[in-house]
Amino acid sequence: MAEKEPREPGGSDGSELGPAARQMRAAEPYISAVWKLVGGAVVGVLGGYWLDKWLGTAPWLLVGLSLAGISVGFYGFLREMARLGKRK
Amino acid sequence: MRKAMVLFASLFAAVAWGSSGAAEGEKEDVAGYILHHVADAHELEIEIPLSHDHVTIHLPQILIPFKAGACEPRMTDHGEVIPGILAGCLDISITKHTVMMWLAAVLLIGSILIWSNRDKTKLVPRGTGANLFEMLVLFVRDELAIKNIGKEEGPRYVPYLLTAFFFILFMNLLGLFPWMASATGNLAVTCGLAVCTFIVTQIAGIRAAGLGGYLAHLTGGVHPLLWPIMIPVEFLGLFTKPFALTVRLFANMLAGHIVIFFLLGLIFILQHPAVAMVSVPFAFGIYLLELFVAFVQAYVFTMLSALFIGMGVAMGHHAHEEHGHGHKETGPSHDHGKAHA
Repeated sequence: MAEKEPREPGGSDGSELGPAARQMRAAEPYISAVWKLVGGAVVGVLGGYWLDKWLGTAPWLLVGLSLAGISVGFYGFLREMARLGKRK
Repeated sequence: MRKAMVLFASLFAAVAWGSSGAAEGEKEDVAGYILHHVADAHELEIEIPLSHDHVTIHLPQILIPFKAGACEPRMTDHGEVIPGILAGCLDISITKHTVMMWLAAVLLIGSILIWSNRDKTKLVPRGTGANLFEMLVLFVRDELAIKNIGKEEGPRYVPYLLTAFFFILFMNLLGLFPWMASATGNLAVTCGLAVCTFIVTQIAGIRAAGLGGYLAHLTGGVHPLLWPIMIPVEFLGLFTKPFALTVRLFANMLAGHIVIFFLLGLIFILQHPAVAMVSVPFAFGIYLLELFVAFVQAYVFTMLSALFIGMGVAMGHHAHEEHGHGHKETGPSHDHGKAHA
């Protein structure tokens, strides 16, 4: 008689997944962490630049939001890395 | 095979020699000719072989102005330009690529209806078409959907993946026929396809993690004070995958066509019919490569779509882990399950 396999919340135990899917799923938290680092700088710089153009406050919002974006990006990245480190 | 190639090249060289007089004035216009042929257009040009005539079918231009006079053509350095959607003019003209998409859809529906209508009492399909389609459908289901999404959730997304695979394949293949064009060599078409995958991926994520879990994922798990910066970052991050899908398919299809045209264009650039002896076999080789690329790109788009949907489905696992209410393994371990498999 077939014994019922334990299931994870999202579906099966994942044994049927191909190598690409396994590796991509394993890498996904790290990709997301790196995007936080890069995206923080991108959003800060571009957001500051556009707001400065719109409000005519150049260069203060560019400087302020760039610093804020880079800092938040770094914080998000380090926080994610610490969490991933703990999980191991 | 080699003899056939030489014969093929000689034949083209002879034709090129015959029409060499006409090539004189076309030296500088090769790039313009190529771009004209790969770009979208408001007319279908059907060239008549071995003559300079062509039949032109004008396609209807449909413009919807949101405010009066928004669709008036404006004169620029590049000639008359219709204002875009941002200027209040919605252009839903039927273009060459739209016709190609419709043609691909009609051919796809027709061939599926013909070849899926087989004797269901027999387990094994008979005939080339039915077997070919069954092989491709099973490949998409077993190798792409189940291997990338999982056996529980995978079958749910098979209809979408099959539609994307066959539609892209038919559009890619259409471009290899004379008088036709590849609609996938248009950024708007590939963007539309990527938007479909994006929507399916987000739905998969919401289904797996719940709307709350999905939105929590967008906050990046940081303090609410940092949300004004982190939410735009995570939101932009959602679009990186469909952007990659869009550009990959578009660039691959466009580049192949441009390479073929340029190899043939060498005859007119160097203005010597003997160039055809080299450029036509090369162009034929690239054409065969394009035939392969048509399948590979349909496969890559579908595989990546399945991979992204699979990552959306896996979002449920992360959400459970992050919020500390993941499942506790009370039963036998996974290894135990595998031992039975």
